[in-house]
Amino acid sequence: MLFTIDASAPEPLFEQLAVQVRSAVARGELTAGTRLPSARELAASLTVNLHTVLRAYQDLRDEGLLELRRGRGAVVTARAEQDYLPLREAIDHLVSVSRRLGLAPVTTTALIKEALR
Amino acid sequence: MTASTRPTSSRTSRPLVPHRATTTLVTLGFPVVVLLVAIAIALSWRDVLPDPIAVHWGSDGVNGYGDLGSHLAAMVGITLAMSGFMWAVGFFSGRDALTRRLAGGVAAWFGVFMAGVFVGSLGPQRGLADAAQAEPVGAVLVASILIACLAGGLAAWLMPADPAEAATDPIPADAPRMPLAASGQAVWIRDATVGGARWFLVVLALAMAAMIVISRQWEVFAILGLVFSLVFVLLARWTVTVDRTGLTVRPLTGRPRIHVPLAEVLEAEVVSVRPVAEFGGWGIRTGAAGRTGVVLRSGPALQVVRTGGRTFVVTVDDAETGAALLNTLAARARRTD
Repeated sequence: MLFTIDASAPEPLFEQLAVQVRSAVARGELTAGTRLPSARELAASLTVNLHTVLRAYQDLRDEGLLELRRGRGAVVTARAEQDYLPLREAIDHLVSVSRRLGLAPVTTTALIKEALR
Repeated sequence: MTASTRPTSSRTSRPLVPHRATTTLVTLGFPVVVLLVAIAIALSWRDVLPDPIAVHWGSDGVNGYGDLGSHLAAMVGITLAMSGFMWAVGFFSGRDALTRRLAGGVAAWFGVFMAGVFVGSLGPQRGLADAAQAEPVGAVLVASILIACLAGGLAAWLMPADPAEAATDPIPADAPRMPLAASGQAVWIRDATVGGARWFLVVLALAMAAMIVISRQWEVFAILGLVFSLVFVLLARWTVTVDRTGLTVRPLTGRPRIHVPLAEVLEAEVVSVRPVAEFGGWGIRTGAAGRTGVVLRSGPALQVVRTGGRTFVVTVDDAETGAALLNTLAARARRTD
């Protein structure tokens, strides 16, 4: 999968990484059993500290999204897929309804942002 | 940069194939030396070998006989034909180190294997009055394959790498890109696995089982089956990485590792690969015009046009993202140079 980080963005780097894993799971791009790159590999490729990646992976493990196994790296759990499935379905539904209403994407996202506040 | 001073790194010109002397030495010179040694050994045994000699074994012992001269000529002919073919591949299409390593490795493997089986099957026949008494040569076969693998691996490893050649042309404007902040870092990591070639293992297992039953030499085929299966398993899953260093493709074992630095990327694109038609099969391959690839399945693949007239392709899912990121990072690296 694709990981991007931006050191000049306000969010901490580990949070930027974790967000991308969560979104990938929610989008259905990462399925149960998928192996993520090892923390060492990812840290070297992105030139960030190993502990930054480990922090992101540990947060995701605490949320139940990842299983961390020594030697085998980080694996997406079956629970992650199940937990995020309703969200994905809700998003698909939201998109189809707002398309039917002819709402501009900006309007839809503004509504979601307001509702989340 | 003007079009009239187009550098050798342009994708339109085809530079000379590098390291032709080494390629010739390894693909032709080494097998010839091995052949000469094998011939010398065989001829020194001429007086103590039975006539005719045993040249083929079946389930009930020797079932093929021949005279030493024609057996020797056949061995030399087949080995030289293979060496000549590998020399031609390396000499004319070896722009990529991968091609030269494959050519050198196969030529060395084949020379040692042929000479090993030849000498190894003659040795036990010394002093026999009748070649029908010759013992089967299963162990010789296994030993020859293992020693040949060592020689082939060594030859492949000894072949020189490509000369570094940075691209000077910009990445084409119409090549796929992705948005990336100037201060952003990105990596794309994806596993590439075999498709239908999985069936290869099943067929191999069945073939080995059949050979065990027919030949009643179960040790030999069990060992061969294990070796082939191990190689298959180790080369069945590869990791493809695009990051600030370029494109890296490596199997479970980490070696052989194929790396294309950002500076040598002319353009990354998504292509559809037909393994048999374009590469003659699956695996680490060289295809037409010296195009190289890690070909694990048919379908979409990430292809990199590289300096030095080289093209490398790897069959991997979501190649669009990989190609877009590779172009984006290469373009950025070239701007800051």
